Amino acid sequence: MAADALKFIDVCSGYKHRNVLENVSFSIKAGEFVSLIGPNGCGKSTLLKTAAALLKPLSGKIELFGSDVLQIRPSARASLLGVVPQKIESPMAFTVYETVMNGRIGSTGFWGRYSSSDRDIVERSMIYTDVSVLRDRYFTELSGGEQQRVALAMVLAQEPKMIMLDESISHLDINHRQEVLQILLNLNREKEIAIVLVSHDLTLSASVSDRFLLMEAGMIAKTGTPQEVLQPELLSRVYKCDLHVQQDPVSGFLQVSGSMDTLRARKRIGKVVHVIAGGGSGTELYRRLLIEGFEVTTGVLNRLDSDAEAARALSIPAVLEQPFSPVGNEAYEKALAMVDGCSFLVLSHVPFGSGNLINLRLAEAALEKGKKVFLSSGIGERDYTAGKAALLLTRELLGHGARCWESVHDLAAMLHENFD
Amino acid sequence: MDRESVCADNRFTGRVRLKERFRMFMFLGAVPLLLLLSLMLGPSGIGIPDLQSGAGRAIISLRTGRMFMGLITGAALAASGVVFQAILRNPLAEPYVLGVSGGAGLGATLAILYGSGVFLSSGVPVVAFVSAIVTLLAVYLIASQGSGGQPSVYSLILSGVIVSSICSSIIMFLVSTASIEGLHNVIWWMLGSLQPADRDQQVLSGLLVAAALSGIWLIAPRLNALSLGREMAHYQGMNADLVIVSGLLMATLLAATAVSLSGMIGFVGLIVPHVTRALFGPDHRRLIPLASIGGGTFLVLCDAAARTLLAPLEIPVGVITALAGGPFFLLILQNRMKQAWIS
Repeated sequence: MAADALKFIDVCSGYKHRNVLENVSFSIKAGEFVSLIGPNGCGKSTLLKTAAALLKPLSGKIELFGSDVLQIRPSARASLLGVVPQKIESPMAFTVYETVMNGRIGSTGFWGRYSSSDRDIVERSMIYTDVSVLRDRYFTELSGGEQQRVALAMVLAQEPKMIMLDESISHLDINHRQEVLQILLNLNREKEIAIVLVSHDLTLSASVSDRFLLMEAGMIAKTGTPQEVLQPELLSRVYKCDLHVQQDPVSGFLQVSGSMDTLRARKRIGKVVHVIAGGGSGTELYRRLLIEGFEVTTGVLNRLDSDAEAARALSIPAVLEQPFSPVGNEAYEKALAMVDGCSFLVLSHVPFGSGNLINLRLAEAALEKGKKVFLSSGIGERDYTAGKAALLLTRELLGHGARCWESVHDLAAMLHENFD
Repeated sequence: MDRESVCADNRFTGRVRLKERFRMFMFLGAVPLLLLLSLMLGPSGIGIPDLQSGAGRAIISLRTGRMFMGLITGAALAASGVVFQAILRNPLAEPYVLGVSGGAGLGATLAILYGSGVFLSSGVPVVAFVSAIVTLLAVYLIASQGSGGQPSVYSLILSGVIVSSICSSIIMFLVSTASIEGLHNVIWWMLGSLQPADRDQQVLSGLLVAAALSGIWLIAPRLNALSLGREMAHYQGMNADLVIVSGLLMATLLAATAVSLSGMIGFVGLIVPHVTRALFGPDHRRLIPLASIGGGTFLVLCDAAARTLLAPLEIPVGVITALAGGPFFLLILQNRMKQAWIS
């Protein structure tokens, strides 16, 4: 069995005030082609930077071909691992040849002079990535696709045993994307160079990768073959949207696509959802429900509450009570009238105390009027009323047909199910 | 067709392009002639003075002394400008950007105005040098604190500019309260002059500049790689932080030496690197020696003009560098801006 090219052992990593990776463990075999996927901001770039020792891990250990990456000399590290960043910029008028030459800088030793074998390697890399004809052009004046090929040539000139690409093919046109992928595949198959490709194009990645690493919020959510990782439920959860996975009947490759049906349907929903919120617990709900095509009403909220501010900013009709006051009868009656007009009532993750317990009565009233009611889970932990009144009431509601939701994504799906 | 183009390209493998070679040849050929020309100019008349007479020998030794001063100062300023622009990846960077001028100026002003009892007259450059280095360290520490560890380019430039402004304000305050003769000395020091310093200082400065120039020439290939950014340089297997810190240190050493030797001479460190880059390309292995030679020669010529034009009156050399050099440089940049800096 091939040795491990890269191994993360229980790694936490991040920036001064923000931890990004949390206890990440995985390994990549020599000669493997791996796609690293996950939503924006889940820590893919941080993982790459940590693997290349640009970021020191806060805890844990990273092994690059068997040795601790922090112990490897920079020049030796460059001959093991090459990284193509999202974009490279050179402010000076270096030619393509001079730029690719930089790939040999790690192997030049104290005097920093290039040997003829360095030059040969640079020539080979340029031929391999088909940038020889661009040799005397200024790097900065090339198109995005050409720049990426030059960057790849530069990294190839390091003669690494593993190459990581950070979304560097995402903004290429379809022709150049295929071409760069073909180059990577050839390197992988012919020279057994391990490839780690960070990509947002799941379909494309599925067609070239041996294995997927799926990241979610700084952790590895799943690793496995494309078939194992590209599960609609898993992806929908991680990416927080509806995704379909189909097998291409001709090539047999998996195809991932967003669901266009629901996109089109969403415009015509016009159903009203009343949200009981407070203390900022409703803002994400408002946003999501509006995007999903629902009309939203909310209340009773206290003025100056962050949810009240959000509702005003989003033009959501709201019933308001004076700041920091218990919900009074007048406001309650108004809210009751508002609930009359809705189809669904949703309870956010709002804590309950004596001041807003009456909002839970709204849910009770809605249930009696035949509306569908969705309660957030875990009310017990947020119940500050005397004698756990809120918890008791919720249990009663659940007994009478109210349903429970956990994530906003689930909630949206449940609401769509209950259309008619 | 493809094969043809590949063949055509192979002829140029690893070589400096023909046009640039020719230009380099012309330039290096012109330097000795221009230096000779500068020896022929001076307030006592144009032409090589009679070397048989004592007066003639005195004049020529004075002129060679100034030539030496000009070469060291110009080379140090230009090379330091090259390094600052490369490391900070900013076309506006110049030798004084990290507070070197402000710190040196403040130190020199204090020494000139209040230090006569404490320091000898030759103590002023030493004080200027030390305060320049201290200011740089302060700027570096402030910038590192601000960006948490490794200072970012922008935090370095920003704190450098701010510290410089604070120093200038203090200088202005000191100058406004100074006596007349103190004022005269301070102003002349700040305008800069290539009046030969005493021999010990010349030798020491010469050695320092030579050492720092070899040092930055040694990291020239790494400066090339650094032009793609610290991150990319790190990936390519060099200790980027070490190169950045040592480069900044050596560039500041060069600038501080130049300032303590000849006072504040502007313009050379900003423009000579740009023109050299425009003419000979951005490869630092060539750029550093060529900019040093160019900066030295340019300053020597400007000084020759400064002492000759209104003889026996001497124009501050900084005035000539800007007035004579400005239009010439603009002309070159206008035609070859793209080669000088793209972004």
